[in-house]
Amino acid sequence: MRIINDFNLKKQAEELGVSVWRTPSFLFIVMGVSIIIIMTAVYHLSKFYSSPEMVVWAEAFVTIILFTLGNLIIQEVEQMAKLNKMKTEFISVASHQLRTPIAAVRWQVELLLSKFGEGLTEKQKEKLENIDVMSSKMKRLVNDLLDVARIDQGKLILKKEKFDLAEIVKNEVKEVESLAKSKQIKIYFSSRKKIPAMSGDPDKIKIAVENLISNAIKYTLEKGRIKIGVSADENNLNFSIEDTGVGIPEKQQKMVFKKFFRSSNIARYQTEGTGLGLYIAKSIIEQSGGKIWFVSQENVGTTFSFSLPLKGSAE
Amino acid sequence: MVVEDDASLNRALVEFLTEEKFEIESALDGEKGLELAASAKPDLILLDIVLPKKDGYEVLEALKKDEKTKRIPVILLTNLESQEDIMKAFEKGASTYLVKANYKLEEIVKKIKETLRIK
Repeated sequence: MRIINDFNLKKQAEELGVSVWRTPSFLFIVMGVSIIIIMTAVYHLSKFYSSPEMVVWAEAFVTIILFTLGNLIIQEVEQMAKLNKMKTEFISVASHQLRTPIAAVRWQVELLLSKFGEGLTEKQKEKLENIDVMSSKMKRLVNDLLDVARIDQGKLILKKEKFDLAEIVKNEVKEVESLAKSKQIKIYFSSRKKIPAMSGDPDKIKIAVENLISNAIKYTLEKGRIKIGVSADENNLNFSIEDTGVGIPEKQQKMVFKKFFRSSNIARYQTEGTGLGLYIAKSIIEQSGGKIWFVSQENVGTTFSFSLPLKGSAE
Repeated sequence: MVVEDDASLNRALVEFLTEEKFEIESALDGEKGLELAASAKPDLILLDIVLPKKDGYEVLEALKKDEKTKRIPVILLTNLESQEDIMKAFEKGASTYLVKANYKLEEIVKKIKETLRIK
């Protein structure tokens, strides 16, 4: 039906996970149409019966319809909100529970490799290091899920500390050095001399920077180049990261910051990745009072940038 | 001293710290932890939050109220991480708050050494 398409009812139904007939928008339309029909009927009927009782009955009827439909709409919305809250709480609880076995695995492997490693063959050490890398990934995924749950619940709270953005970026670049080398990707980092300290949450900004850098490496095939720059102007600190990677297809560019989104062209090369990194980075940057954006061309590369205000930053 | 109710985590901490030449006592619940703190008078306490009998916050409060133990620095080692948890921990007098899954044993040792040096 055309009406269904015009009001994007189908899209809303999909997003909310209900049938079209139960979406709030549809119920509003039914309410509006009912009122129009009843008023028209009353008008015509009033031509035959000119009594004040008619008007009263008509108004009473309309009021009943309004209350009934209004109630239905409110119930639907409440139900959806409850489900949403339950989903977020579930993710929180499950992720917390996962943290204990993850800590246990990481520590046991660490003990084996560092304190009880005598007599281990090279092959065995290699296997253990593999477990170490994988359990680190688990830790990161759990942290991502918890961050997303917190963001969704509006509970992402940012500290207010003085920190140096250039330092954070420099440390991140050092951390990914070996990964970049293994893919023969060259990373160039430049920052203007005097980058003023800014007030905000360094741990969270570190996560945003980490996500952007790891994306650049992930989506740049072998022998690429990544240029990272940090600078400051009168009002803002600016960060940009340019890669010669696979780029983001134009049609998918508006989905890039959405939860769990991964563009189709990279899924061919890399099945790993949760699609949460940019969603988290955007939430952190925006809640810190900043802006994040990107420019991308398929098969040429992508440049992600963000700016953070120097004064009166984090909310 | 380590107060941690998960036996595997408890043992891992004890083993690693012993290898790092620390003298280490451990308890598996809050009540035992308090008793041990009063009798052994450790230089530092690693305290979990979710514990049977008395939880980490109750233990922390009791430690800070007791003359004998109030000067012992306490590092909270836990997997909870909400803003309320962290604020509560520092309000009650914790020196540091570490999420177990995010820290390797050697990083925890580094924090221990930092805290002891300041003290």
